Amino acid sequence: MLGNFLIGLREGLEAVLIVVLLIAYLTKTDRRNLLPRIWAGVAFAVIVSLGFGALLTFGPRGLTFQAQEIIGGGLSIIAAGLVTWMIFWMAGASKTLNQDLKNQVDKAATGSAWGLVMVGALSVGREGLETTLFIWAAARSTGETWQPLLGAVLGLIGAIAIGLLLHRGIVKIQLSKFFTWTGALLVVVAAGVFSYGVHDLQEAAVLPGIHALAYDFSAAIPPSGWLGTVLQGVFNFIPATPWLAAIAWWAYLVPVMFFYLRKTASPPRAAKTRAAAAS
Amino acid sequence: MKKLLAPAALFSLGALVLSGCTDNNVSAASDGSINVVATDDSCTVSTDNAPGGTLKFNVKNDGSKINEFYLLADDGLRIVGEVENVGPGVSRDLVVLAPEGSYFAACKPGMVGDGIRSAFTVTAAADGQQVSADRATLQKTATDQYTAYVKDQAEQLLRGTKDFAEAFATGDEKTAKQLYASTRMHWERIEPVAESFGDLDPILDAREADLAEGDQFTGWHRAEKDLWAPENYTKMTEKQRQEIADGMVENTQKLYDRTLKLSFTPDQLANGAKSLLDEVATGKVTGEEETFSHTDLWDFQANMEGAKIAYQDLKPLLEGTDDKLDAQLEKNFTSLQGQLDQYRDGDGFKYYDELSTKQVQELAAGVDALSEPLSKLTAAVIK
Repeated sequence: MLGNFLIGLREGLEAVLIVVLLIAYLTKTDRRNLLPRIWAGVAFAVIVSLGFGALLTFGPRGLTFQAQEIIGGGLSIIAAGLVTWMIFWMAGASKTLNQDLKNQVDKAATGSAWGLVMVGALSVGREGLETTLFIWAAARSTGETWQPLLGAVLGLIGAIAIGLLLHRGIVKIQLSKFFTWTGALLVVVAAGVFSYGVHDLQEAAVLPGIHALAYDFSAAIPPSGWLGTVLQGVFNFIPATPWLAAIAWWAYLVPVMFFYLRKTASPPRAAKTRAAAAS
Repeated sequence: MKKLLAPAALFSLGALVLSGCTDNNVSAASDGSINVVATDDSCTVSTDNAPGGTLKFNVKNDGSKINEFYLLADDGLRIVGEVENVGPGVSRDLVVLAPEGSYFAACKPGMVGDGIRSAFTVTAAADGQQVSADRATLQKTATDQYTAYVKDQAEQLLRGTKDFAEAFATGDEKTAKQLYASTRMHWERIEPVAESFGDLDPILDAREADLAEGDQFTGWHRAEKDLWAPENYTKMTEKQRQEIADGMVENTQKLYDRTLKLSFTPDQLANGAKSLLDEVATGKVTGEEETFSHTDLWDFQANMEGAKIAYQDLKPLLEGTDDKLDAQLEKNFTSLQGQLDQYRDGDGFKYYDELSTKQVQELAAGVDALSEPLSKLTAAVIK
């Protein structure tokens, strides 16, 4: 039961984390009216994944494992791209927000609302198929024992609970620090999502080098243990990482973090002009 | 953002279409699943072999750790298929398309390390089941090459027949005799194909001894009889010769036109190779084919060459799957050619009536030695 709980928790965290940061951002900037769109994106991903997963489990045809990995890996890389866009959009918005130019922010938020829906849908959808295949397998096993399904569902609930706690904690952060921190956290998360996508495509043999390991921490951090579960759930950390996936992580993290920090550190041009005019 | 929606949707669809779905119900009669029971320190696979095609592993985790199941290629590295997240108490299926070969089955308790491995063999697929795209490509290449070869031989046969017919019709017996055996070799190389045209074969290649009541004696052997006339034979008139010559050209043209539309399957190549050797055994080794000219060894050589071409086109299909048969065929073709080379005389061969009984018996033994492994070729290439 613990094992199934941990799978549910890990897959759940992978799906929940970006959504939580997104919701925290909208709550913080007082645009709760946009929340239904996020939920719509999430609900869409959940329903599609559940339906597709059920079809593949109980229907006459299943997916080849390569197809599963290509879908998961491809969606992960697309999700990483969308999250990157969101990070920079938030960084830009935070500048204007600091100057209390709320009208402009609202305009920007409305215009990009569908982008937010996509981020929500992809964050859940990229792990959705793999997760539901597991959930349905657990459900099918319930003829013998109900424990696997219970474990898996509790794991998902646990992931959502952690998400809620995280949401409350993030919302309490002082507004000026909020964007910098959530943004930096998202860059790290997105790097993990990107690297994980590469790893999936390696498993599907679309990309080479699955066995050329850069490092292997699986003895120190067992992937089936608590720490491994949370690290993978939050940062998509893979204990035994191939070189290509490791390089993808760094190749994403370093430049994106650099540009992100530069953007948040430099004072906004509009503010400078206005300050000059006021003096 | 809408710009991104379309690519995302396309990507998912593309992944589905490209990688394809796979059958969940491998065998309708009995599920056909291979059961795998994994615990924290064991990995029990219900069988260590299965016929090629779509395999379904039902992986049951009876341990306490999260497990994974892999089907690895014979290098132990390449993942042919895997199923992750097999939680304790959970059963999950791995459906994978596997061609014949050696594999490893591996459970990975706790998702750590190389896993608990055992050898797994995929045997030949059931008849007619296509298991590998690579193999299909090899088969296509083989039949394409052979089709091209048949067309080429038919074209040379047509050209040679025209020259022969002209010499024969005009009474240039010396030239006609020279052209006879060498031109017929093009026919003999593709004999199973030529014989498959039931209307043309008797017109062009029927022997006098085989004629049924009321059949016209035409074609190559009619000309042969006239050129190498036996005793008490009345030579044809110029008009009769012209008729025979015209008929040969006309029907060979038909044969050539039809070969342009032919295509073959790998089993036809393999069966064709075998039947060419049978031709040698039943016609040439006995010296019946060329009753008057005694040029049977030319035909012998050509039949064998035709069989060898078919075998060589199919050879890539044997490599890695039946190397033993491949080696045996290679050896026996070489040795039969060696036997035949003893009777070479200039560009051609000795006449068959110059061979001793012992020599004929040796040749017959060589043909039988090759014929035996050749009969296994069909089964080896269609799997």
